[in-house]
Amino acid sequence: MSRAVILLAAVLASAGAATARAEPLPDQGVAAAVGAATGGRLTPGGVRVTGHYLYQLSSQDWFDGTAVFTFGSAQAACFRDRADAVVCNHGLADGTGLELSAGVRRMFAPQGRYQPFARAAVGFALMRFGGDEVTGAGIPLHLGGGIRARVSKDLAVVANGELLVGFAAFNRNLGVAPQIGLAITAGAEFRL
Amino acid sequence: MSIRTAATIAIAIAITLAGCTTSSDVSRTLGARCDSSGECAGRCLPDGAGYPGGFCTLVCNRSAECPATSACVDREGGACLFSCAGEDSCAFLGEGWRCAEEDLREDTSTKVMVCRGP
Repeated sequence: MSRAVILLAAVLASAGAATARAEPLPDQGVAAAVGAATGGRLTPGGVRVTGHYLYQLSSQDWFDGTAVFTFGSAQAACFRDRADAVVCNHGLADGTGLELSAGVRRMFAPQGRYQPFARAAVGFALMRFGGDEVTGAGIPLHLGGGIRARVSKDLAVVANGELLVGFAAFNRNLGVAPQIGLAITAGAEFRL
Repeated sequence: MSIRTAATIAIAIAITLAGCTTSSDVSRTLGARCDSSGECAGRCLPDGAGYPGGFCTLVCNRSAECPATSACVDREGGACLFSCAGEDSCAFLGEGWRCAEEDLREDTSTKVMVCRGP
Protein backbone atom coordinates (compact mmCIF):
# COMPACT_ATOMS: atom_id res chain seq x y z
CA MET A 1 0.00 0.00 0.00
CA SER A 2 2.66 2.46 1.04
CA ARG A 3 4.73 1.56 -2.07
CA ALA A 4 1.71 2.33 -4.26
CA VAL A 5 1.23 5.71 -2.58
CA ILE A 6 4.89 6.61 -3.02
CA LEU A 7 4.80 5.56 -6.67
CA LEU A 8 1.64 7.62 -7.30
CA ALA A 9 3.18 10.66 -5.60
CA ALA A 10 6.32 10.31 -7.72
CA VAL A 11 4.28 10.10 -10.94
CA LEU A 12 2.20 13.17 -10.01
CA ALA A 13 5.30 15.14 -9.05
CA SER A 14 7.04 14.34 -12.32
CA ALA A 15 3.87 15.22 -14.29
CA GLY A 16 3.65 18.57 -12.46
CA ALA A 17 7.26 19.33 -13.23
CA ALA A 18 6.69 18.52 -16.90
CA THR A 19 3.63 20.81 -16.98
CA ALA A 20 5.64 23.62 -15.39
CA ARG A 21 8.33 23.27 -18.03
CA ALA A 22 5.80 23.23 -20.89
CA GLU A 23 3.84 26.29 -19.68
CA PRO A 24 6.23 28.94 -18.40
CA LEU A 25 4.72 32.00 -16.84
CA PRO A 26 3.89 34.64 -19.52
CA ASP A 27 6.03 37.72 -19.82
CA GLN A 28 4.61 40.93 -18.50
CA GLY A 29 5.78 44.48 -18.71
CA VAL A 30 4.97 48.07 -17.90
CA ALA A 31 5.80 51.13 -19.93
CA ALA A 32 5.53 54.88 -19.62
CA ALA A 33 5.79 57.34 -22.47
CA VAL A 34 5.40 61.03 -23.18
CA GLY A 35 4.77 62.82 -26.44
CA ALA A 36 2.37 65.01 -28.32
CA ALA A 37 -1.13 64.53 -29.68
CA THR A 38 -2.88 66.62 -32.27
CA GLY A 39 -6.59 67.04 -31.96
CA GLY A 40 -8.86 69.75 -33.29
CA ARG A 41 -12.52 70.70 -33.15
CA LEU A 42 -13.77 68.31 -30.46
CA THR A 43 -10.74 66.02 -30.20
CA PRO A 44 -8.35 66.96 -27.40
CA GLY A 45 -4.69 67.49 -28.22
CA GLY A 46 -1.54 68.62 -26.47
CA VAL A 47 1.03 66.91 -24.31
CA ARG A 48 0.34 63.20 -24.06
CA VAL A 49 1.39 60.93 -21.22
CA THR A 50 0.70 57.22 -21.42
CA GLY A 51 1.09 54.25 -19.13
CA HIS A 52 0.97 50.68 -20.43
CA TYR A 53 0.53 47.25 -18.96
CA LEU A 54 1.75 44.53 -21.32
CA TYR A 55 0.98 40.85 -21.10
CA GLN A 56 2.29 38.32 -23.56
CA LEU A 57 -0.47 36.40 -25.32
CA SER A 58 1.60 34.48 -27.86
CA SER A 59 5.02 34.55 -29.45
CA GLN A 60 3.98 37.60 -31.48
CA ASP A 61 1.06 39.22 -29.70
CA TRP A 62 0.87 41.18 -26.47
CA PHE A 63 -2.15 42.52 -24.66
CA ASP A 64 -1.65 46.27 -24.24
CA GLY A 65 -3.76 48.00 -21.59
CA THR A 66 -3.19 51.72 -21.66
CA ALA A 67 -4.08 54.81 -19.67
CA VAL A 68 -3.77 57.97 -21.75
CA PHE A 69 -3.70 61.53 -20.41
CA THR A 70 -3.83 64.48 -22.79
CA PHE A 71 -3.15 67.99 -21.57
CA GLY A 72 -3.98 70.87 -23.92
CA SER A 73 -5.01 74.47 -23.46
CA ALA A 74 -8.38 75.48 -22.05
CA GLN A 75 -8.86 78.20 -24.63
CA ALA A 76 -12.49 78.85 -25.59
CA ALA A 77 -13.31 78.08 -29.21
CA CYS A 78 -17.04 77.40 -29.30
CA PHE A 79 -19.69 79.84 -30.43
CA ARG A 80 -23.32 79.99 -31.50
CA ASP A 81 -23.78 80.30 -35.23
CA ARG A 82 -26.60 82.36 -36.72
CA ALA A 83 -28.95 79.36 -36.55
CA ASP A 84 -28.20 79.23 -32.80
CA ALA A 85 -26.33 75.93 -33.09
CA VAL A 86 -23.16 75.53 -31.01
CA VAL A 87 -20.05 75.12 -33.17
CA CYS A 88 -16.61 74.30 -31.77
CA ASN A 89 -13.39 74.92 -33.65
CA HIS A 90 -10.70 74.00 -31.17
CA GLY A 91 -7.09 74.03 -32.22
CA LEU A 92 -4.66 71.14 -32.49
CA ALA A 93 -3.56 71.44 -28.86
CA ASP A 94 -6.75 72.28 -26.96
CA GLY A 95 -8.66 70.32 -24.37
CA THR A 96 -7.86 67.66 -21.82
CA GLY A 97 -8.57 63.97 -22.01
CA LEU A 98 -8.41 60.76 -20.03
CA GLU A 99 -8.70 57.42 -21.74
CA LEU A 100 -8.44 53.76 -20.86
CA SER A 101 -7.87 51.42 -23.77
CA ALA A 102 -7.27 47.77 -24.41
CA GLY A 103 -5.61 46.37 -27.47
CA VAL A 104 -3.07 44.11 -29.03
CA ARG A 105 0.51 44.84 -29.96
CA ARG A 106 1.89 42.55 -32.65
CA MET A 107 5.66 42.26 -32.61
CA PHE A 108 7.45 41.62 -35.88
CA ALA A 109 10.78 39.92 -36.45
CA PRO A 110 13.58 41.75 -34.63
CA GLN A 111 16.34 43.38 -36.61
CA GLY A 112 19.25 43.37 -34.23
CA ARG A 113 18.27 45.35 -31.17
CA TYR A 114 15.27 46.85 -32.92
CA GLN A 115 11.87 45.28 -33.19
CA PRO A 116 9.00 46.93 -35.07
CA PHE A 117 5.40 46.44 -34.00
CA ALA A 118 1.86 47.30 -34.96
CA ARG A 119 -0.80 48.17 -32.44
CA ALA A 120 -4.60 48.31 -32.48
CA ALA A 121 -6.75 49.23 -29.51
CA VAL A 122 -10.19 50.44 -28.56
CA GLY A 123 -10.82 52.68 -25.59
CA PHE A 124 -13.23 54.66 -23.49
CA ALA A 125 -12.38 58.34 -23.27
CA LEU A 126 -13.54 61.33 -21.28
CA MET A 127 -12.67 64.78 -22.56
CA ARG A 128 -13.17 68.37 -21.50
CA PHE A 129 -12.70 71.75 -23.10
CA GLY A 130 -12.65 73.94 -20.03
CA GLY A 131 -12.95 77.35 -21.69
CA ASP A 132 -16.25 76.34 -23.26
CA GLU A 133 -17.54 74.09 -20.47
CA VAL A 134 -17.82 71.30 -23.03
CA THR A 135 -17.53 67.74 -21.73
CA GLY A 136 -17.79 64.51 -23.67
CA ALA A 137 -17.34 60.76 -23.61
CA GLY A 138 -16.33 58.64 -26.55
CA ILE A 139 -15.12 55.38 -27.99
CA PRO A 140 -11.87 55.92 -29.89
CA LEU A 141 -10.10 53.35 -32.04
CA HIS A 142 -6.30 53.47 -32.16
CA LEU A 143 -4.24 52.16 -35.06
CA GLY A 144 -0.53 52.60 -35.21
CA GLY A 145 2.86 51.14 -34.73
CA GLY A 146 6.34 51.80 -33.62
CA ILE A 147 9.69 50.39 -32.83
CA ARG A 148 11.17 48.89 -29.70
CA ALA A 149 14.88 49.18 -29.08
CA ARG A 150 16.23 46.76 -26.50
CA VAL A 151 18.63 48.35 -24.04
CA SER A 152 19.03 45.39 -21.70
CA LYS A 153 17.24 42.14 -20.90
CA ASP A 154 14.55 43.95 -18.95
CA LEU A 155 14.59 47.45 -20.42
CA ALA A 156 13.71 48.83 -23.83
CA VAL A 157 13.10 52.22 -25.36
CA VAL A 158 9.88 52.44 -27.37
CA ALA A 159 8.70 54.98 -29.95
CA ASN A 160 5.09 54.85 -31.08
CA GLY A 161 2.92 56.69 -33.58
CA GLU A 162 -0.80 56.25 -33.99
CA LEU A 163 -3.96 57.45 -35.61
CA LEU A 164 -7.08 57.89 -33.52
CA VAL A 165 -10.57 57.77 -35.00
CA GLY A 166 -13.92 57.44 -33.31
CA PHE A 167 -16.97 59.21 -32.05
CA ALA A 168 -17.89 61.00 -28.86
CA ALA A 169 -21.04 62.49 -27.36
CA PHE A 170 -20.93 65.99 -25.88
CA ASN A 171 -23.04 68.28 -23.75
CA ARG A 172 -24.22 71.80 -24.77
CA ASN A 173 -26.40 70.25 -27.48
CA LEU A 174 -23.33 69.36 -29.52
CA GLY A 175 -24.53 65.78 -29.84
CA VAL A 176 -22.23 63.15 -31.31
CA ALA A 177 -19.10 64.36 -33.08
CA PRO A 178 -16.27 62.56 -34.86
CA GLN A 179 -12.92 62.16 -33.18
CA ILE A 180 -9.71 62.20 -35.19
CA GLY A 181 -6.15 62.77 -34.12
CA LEU A 182 -2.54 61.75 -34.35
CA ALA A 183 -0.11 61.04 -31.54
CA ILE A 184 3.60 60.40 -31.25
CA THR A 185 5.12 59.19 -28.01
CA ALA A 186 8.42 57.81 -26.78
CA GLY A 187 9.23 56.12 -23.51
CA ALA A 188 10.69 53.22 -21.61
CA GLU A 189 9.42 49.69 -21.20
CA PHE A 190 10.29 47.39 -18.34
CA ARG A 191 9.80 43.63 -18.23
CA LEU A 192 8.33 42.43 -14.95
CA MET B 1 -7.57 41.19 -41.33
CA SER B 2 -4.06 42.07 -42.45
CA ILE B 3 -2.26 45.11 -41.11
CA ARG B 4 -2.24 46.65 -44.58
CA THR B 5 -6.03 46.28 -44.86
CA ALA B 6 -6.52 47.76 -41.39
CA ALA B 7 -4.27 50.70 -42.25
CA THR B 8 -6.17 51.32 -45.49
CA ILE B 9 -9.50 51.31 -43.64
CA ALA B 10 -8.13 53.67 -40.97
CA ILE B 11 -6.88 56.14 -43.57
CA ALA B 12 -10.23 56.03 -45.39
CA ILE B 13 -12.09 56.73 -42.13
CA ALA B 14 -9.72 59.60 -41.34
CA ILE B 15 -10.25 61.19 -44.73
CA THR B 16 -14.02 60.82 -44.39
CA LEU B 17 -14.06 62.36 -40.94
CA ALA B 18 -11.77 65.18 -42.02
CA GLY B 19 -14.36 66.07 -44.65
CA CYS B 20 -17.01 66.65 -41.98
CA THR B 21 -16.43 70.39 -41.84
CA THR B 22 -18.80 73.08 -40.71
CA SER B 23 -19.71 75.62 -43.36
CA SER B 24 -20.37 78.44 -40.94
CA ASP B 25 -19.60 81.96 -42.17
CA VAL B 26 -19.30 83.27 -38.65
CA SER B 27 -16.92 82.79 -35.76
CA ARG B 28 -16.29 83.82 -32.16
CA THR B 29 -14.39 86.76 -33.62
CA LEU B 30 -17.05 88.02 -35.99
CA GLY B 31 -20.69 87.25 -36.44
CA ALA B 32 -21.54 84.62 -33.83
CA ARG B 33 -24.75 85.05 -31.88
CA CYS B 34 -24.22 86.21 -28.32
CA ASP B 35 -25.82 87.49 -25.17
CA SER B 36 -22.60 88.54 -23.45
CA SER B 37 -18.96 89.21 -24.36
CA GLY B 38 -17.94 85.93 -22.71
CA GLU B 39 -19.28 84.17 -25.78
CA CYS B 40 -17.04 86.16 -28.12
CA ALA B 41 -13.34 86.58 -28.81
CA GLY B 42 -13.87 90.34 -28.52
CA ARG B 43 -17.10 92.00 -27.53
CA CYS B 44 -20.80 91.27 -27.92
CA LEU B 45 -23.15 93.77 -29.51
CA PRO B 46 -26.40 92.60 -27.90
CA ASP B 47 -29.77 92.08 -29.46
CA GLY B 48 -31.18 94.90 -27.37
CA ALA B 49 -28.75 97.40 -28.91
CA GLY B 50 -30.04 96.77 -32.42
CA TYR B 51 -28.10 93.68 -33.44
CA PRO B 52 -30.70 90.93 -33.88
CA GLY B 53 -29.64 87.74 -32.08
CA GLY B 54 -26.50 89.48 -30.77
CA PHE B 55 -23.31 89.90 -32.74
CA CYS B 56 -19.72 89.08 -31.80
CA THR B 57 -17.29 91.70 -33.04
CA LEU B 58 -13.97 93.36 -32.33
CA VAL B 59 -13.31 96.85 -31.06
CA CYS B 60 -11.43 98.68 -33.80
CA ASN B 61 -10.17 102.01 -35.09
CA ARG B 62 -9.12 100.90 -38.56
CA SER B 63 -10.51 98.34 -41.00
CA ALA B 64 -7.09 96.71 -41.06
CA GLU B 65 -7.86 95.55 -37.52
CA CYS B 66 -10.95 93.67 -38.72
CA PRO B 67 -11.25 90.30 -40.48
CA ALA B 68 -10.96 90.51 -44.27
CA THR B 69 -14.69 90.29 -44.94
CA SER B 70 -15.53 93.23 -42.71
CA ALA B 71 -14.98 96.95 -42.20
CA CYS B 72 -14.45 99.09 -39.11
CA VAL B 73 -17.40 101.43 -38.85
CA ASP B 74 -18.09 104.37 -36.57
CA ARG B 75 -20.66 102.64 -34.35
CA GLU B 76 -20.35 101.58 -30.72
CA GLY B 77 -17.00 103.34 -30.50
CA GLY B 78 -15.63 101.41 -33.46
CA ALA B 79 -16.83 97.94 -34.42
CA CYS B 80 -16.14 95.47 -37.21
CA LEU B 81 -19.23 94.64 -39.27
CA PHE B 82 -19.53 92.42 -42.31
CA SER B 83 -19.13 94.26 -45.62
CA CYS B 84 -22.01 93.83 -48.05
CA ALA B 85 -23.08 94.67 -51.59
CA GLY B 86 -26.84 94.24 -51.29
CA GLU B 87 -29.62 92.91 -49.04
CA ASP B 88 -28.87 89.32 -50.02
CA SER B 89 -25.34 89.69 -48.69
CA CYS B 90 -26.68 89.97 -45.13
CA ALA B 91 -29.27 87.19 -45.32
CA PHE B 92 -26.92 84.70 -43.64
CA LEU B 93 -27.11 86.74 -40.43
CA GLY B 94 -30.85 86.09 -40.10
CA GLU B 95 -33.95 88.19 -39.86
CA GLY B 96 -33.64 91.89 -39.12
CA TRP B 97 -30.25 92.39 -40.73
CA ARG B 98 -29.89 94.65 -43.73
CA CYS B 99 -27.16 96.12 -45.87
CA ALA B 100 -26.79 99.84 -45.10
CA GLU B 101 -24.35 102.69 -45.35
CA GLU B 102 -22.16 103.57 -42.38
CA ASP B 103 -19.28 105.95 -41.69
CA LEU B 104 -15.85 104.39 -41.85
CA ARG B 105 -14.26 104.66 -38.40
CA GLU B 106 -10.85 105.79 -39.62
CA ASP B 107 -12.33 108.38 -41.99
CA THR B 108 -15.89 109.38 -41.12
CA SER B 109 -16.27 111.24 -44.40
CA THR B 110 -16.09 107.91 -46.22
CA LYS B 111 -19.15 105.66 -46.38
CA VAL B 112 -19.05 101.87 -46.52
CA MET B 113 -21.81 99.30 -46.94
CA VAL B 114 -22.07 96.92 -43.98
CA CYS B 115 -24.58 94.50 -42.49
CA ARG B 116 -26.34 96.01 -39.48
CA GLY B 117 -29.55 95.80 -37.54
CA PRO B 118 -32.66 97.88 -38.19
